This record gives sequence, C-alpha cells and structure tokens, in this order.
Amino acid sequence: MIAILKRMFKTAWQGMKRNNWLTLACVAMMMLSLLIFSSTIIFNHLANSLVNTLKEKMDISLYFKTDVPEEDILKIRDELLANELIAKINYVSKEEALETFEERSKYNPTIQKALEVIGENPLAASLNIKAKNTTDYNQIIESIKNSAFQDKLITIDLTENQKIVSRVDTLARAIKIGSLAAIILLTFLSFVISFNTIRMAIYSLKEEIEIMKLVGGSNWFIRGPFLLEGILQGLFASLTTIIIFSLIILLLGARIENFIPGLGLSTYFWSHFWFILFLQTTFGIFLGIISSFWALNHYLKI
Amino acid sequence: MDSIRIVRINSHIYIDKIMSLVYFKNVSKSYNGSLILDNVTFTMETGEFVSLVGRSGVGKTTLLKMLIREELPTKGKIFFDDKEINKLKPNEIALLRRKIGVVFQDFKLLPDRTAFENVAFAMEVAGYPNEMIKKDVPEVLKLVNLQNKADNFPYQMSAGEKQRTVIARALIQRPELILADEPTGNLDPINSWDIIKLLVKINELGTAVMLATHDKEIVNTLGKRVISLENGKIIRDEQEGKYLI
Repeated sequence: MIAILKRMFKTAWQGMKRNNWLTLACVAMMMLSLLIFSSTIIFNHLANSLVNTLKEKMDISLYFKTDVPEEDILKIRDELLANELIAKINYVSKEEALETFEERSKYNPTIQKALEVIGENPLAASLNIKAKNTTDYNQIIESIKNSAFQDKLITIDLTENQKIVSRVDTLARAIKIGSLAAIILLTFLSFVISFNTIRMAIYSLKEEIEIMKLVGGSNWFIRGPFLLEGILQGLFASLTTIIIFSLIILLLGARIENFIPGLGLSTYFWSHFWFILFLQTTFGIFLGIISSFWALNHYLKI
Repeated sequence: MDSIRIVRINSHIYIDKIMSLVYFKNVSKSYNGSLILDNVTFTMETGEFVSLVGRSGVGKTTLLKMLIREELPTKGKIFFDDKEINKLKPNEIALLRRKIGVVFQDFKLLPDRTAFENVAFAMEVAGYPNEMIKKDVPEVLKLVNLQNKADNFPYQMSAGEKQRTVIARALIQRPELILADEPTGNLDPINSWDIIKLLVKINELGTAVMLATHDKEIVNTLGKRVISLENGKIIRDEQEGKYLI
C-alpha cells in the first residue's frame, strides 16, 4: 500500500513538473481565490465585532441642572430602572465628571487654565442609560421627554453610534456581497485552470496511462496521481496564501491597528491561525479534487 | 467454460470434458455499421499455441483487444478462465489484464525509462513491493537474453531488443496467456525468428500464446494450431495448420 502511494506521489509530482508553468498559474489563481476567501472570513468577524463594540458604546446621557440635589437624581434613577426597556443606569456625580474631565485633558494646558479661572466645578451630574436593545433608545428618550423630571434636565444626549452602526452594517454587507462575487469568479477561474492543468497532465502522461492500462493498473492507481495533483495544488495554494497573510499581518498589522483602533486584526488572525489555515486548506483541496475529478471523467477513459 | 473434446484412441472414441482458457461464443463486432467480426466461435486451451492469421484489417487486432476488454463485442460472449469478460467490474478488468501479457508491433515502451524500468513498470502498476521487483526483473531479462541491456534506454536498443523488452514486460506478471499482435512486423527476418523462438520457448514453459500475424513463412514453419480469418469469419481452424489464404 505504501509502495503504491509512493508511486502515485511520484507520478503526480512528475505530472506537475512536466507542466510547471501551468501548475504555477493554477496555484497562483487558487491562491487568489483563497486570499479572498480567508479575507472574507476575517473581515466578517471584524465587522461583527466592530458593530458589537459600537453597539456597546451606545447610551443616553441625562445631564441635570446644577441645583438638582443628588437624592433627587438617585430617585429619578430608581424610577427609570422600572422601565423594562432599560438595562442599566450609571450615576456620574459632578465630582466624578470633573475628575474624568481633568484626567482626559491633563495634557491640554488651555483647558486646565480655563478650569482654574472658573474656580468651581462647572460640570453637571448625569445618568448614563443603557437600553436592552439598541433599537429602543428613541422610545426611551420619548418617555423621558414626557416625564415629570423633564424640567430638571439640561440636556438629553444620545451618542450618535446608531448611525455609525447602520453604516458599518451596510458597508459590511456590501463588502460581503462583493467578496462572495469575487470568490465565485475566482473559484470558477481556478477551476478552469486546474481542470486544464490536469488535462495537460493526462496528455503528457498518455503513453504511461496506455501502458498502465495494458499491464493491469487498477482504476485508482491510474486516476490516483491526477487526483493527488489536484490535492497538491490546493495544498500549495493554501500554504502560500497563509504565508502571504502572515507577512501582511506582520508588516501592516500595526499600521492598520493605528488607522482603525480597536479592530483587533492581528490578535484575531494569530488566535485563529489554525482555524483559518484549516478552512482555506479544506477549500483549496476541495477545489483541486473537484477540478481533477471533472478532468478525469472527461479525458481519462479506462 | 467447459467444452467437449473428442479423442480417438485405437478405434475407441472418448469424450473428454475440459475447461478452456479462452472461449469466444458467437462473437460479432461492428464499427459504425460495418461488420469486422461475424459470429466467431472458438476455444483455446491452457498452454496452447495458436496462430491467428488473415489479411490486414480482417479483425485480428479487434479480436485480441476484446480479450483484454479494450473493446466490447457487439454480440456474443467472451470467456477467460471461465469468467465472462463483458461482465467484469473495473477492478476485475485490471486483474484480467495482469493474467494476459500483450506484445505489440510498435513496442509501446516508455522512451524515458531503461529496459529494467520498463519491465519494472508493469510490476509497480500492479503494486508489487520493490524487493520483489529487484529480484524478478533481472530474471525475466535473462530469460529474454537482455541481461546486459538492463540499463539501456529504448533509443539505445535495436528493434529486436525492444521487442524482447516488451516480451519481458508481458511475462513479468507470470500471465496465463501472451497475446502477440504482429510482433515481428517491424523486425528483419533474423530478429523475427529470434522473437518467434522466444515465444515458442515461453509456450513450452507453460504459458499459452496467441500470435496474430500475416507472416506466412513463420506460421508454416511453426506447425502449430492455426485459426484463419476471412471477411470477419473463421474459415479454417486446424491443429498443425498452414497459412492458406
């Protein structure tokens, strides 16, 4: 069995060497398909995590007039917590707000000087409300506007993440559709090239195949090397793709991270390295086997 | 396939039931409506030497191709070792071809392999282990008197040597039958006789041989069974026959 497998590998390798340029073109085309394939997987995950992060950052801030006592604000908080649309409310006192503001603007001397000039805490106490669902924020705002404590508020502030979330969602969907179209096109091209590589291999080994048949080579012994050739093409394409991906992440990961902070591209790639390799190798080998099988059924009659 | 042979000894007639190696039963073959073989029936026994004679295009090669299941009959049945060839599954076809060695006029040797490698190829394909290949190939090459040419490529060999390499390749799997399709067609008379002598020697060692030829001199000198084909039909089947077409 091992001897037969070795011989099959030898024949497959011979076939690839004889048509080296075609094999190279085939591996390159498969590599492109796999690059898009893996990019889509990674992008899909990143887009989802970005949307989730943005959704998590959404909240309503109620800023109270400076003369409203803390007990009143805490009472309003308890009232609001009874609303089933609200998940949680965080109270930020005037002091805490000032502390955060000072910490944030410690490298900005102008703001620090302005605070010194004012001499007292100009910031308002606030309640930060998180809804159970991102779609409920507008309804919560409406109920606050109609509430009895409405006149105690300076402003109701809804972070504008909703628009960003829907924009990211739309963009992600567009990119997914684009990637899918690219995958289909490149997979088809890979299939056509791989099919032709195997066809050429069948032609170049025509004499061997004829003699194999005459001396009693089994069906699988004759077909095996060509299927192996398809598998090897898929494998080489997958390995090349993962090397290119790793290089891109190593060289450009930090820059991409600077451009879109919190994206977690490098972290995601390295923590899912084997998963991505497994998926794209399976896809590559599947592509190789299908094209070889198709070519064998068309051009190799035993 | 069982068949009956009538033997006369000292005025007594005996009916002898024997199992044939090859049995063609009412076999016809046509290509695009043109009839190549027409209702051919014959048997061939284990260890027998049969010459198949007839003009070019009479259907000799088609008949041989049907025996190794390269072609299927349009009508009729073909048996080898009691198994109907038409009904073989793909893996059984491979096994059939290992039992039948084939020798062609145009050699069909791999040009980029030496004589040793060409013979070894048949064993590799059948899945024999390397140790066995290393042991058996030199023995067969010796049998065909090519022990000194084992490392020669086909372009370094004469036509006769090439044909002997082909015979070695056909013999390497110890077949029950050797099919030789015009094996002397590309050879000079001396080399032709060498090949025929080799086939006779192989037959004497127990392997059946079916020789398709239109070389009258060879057939007449052999003095073995001759099946004559004309217009797709067997017109004569004689033990110790002659080429009479």
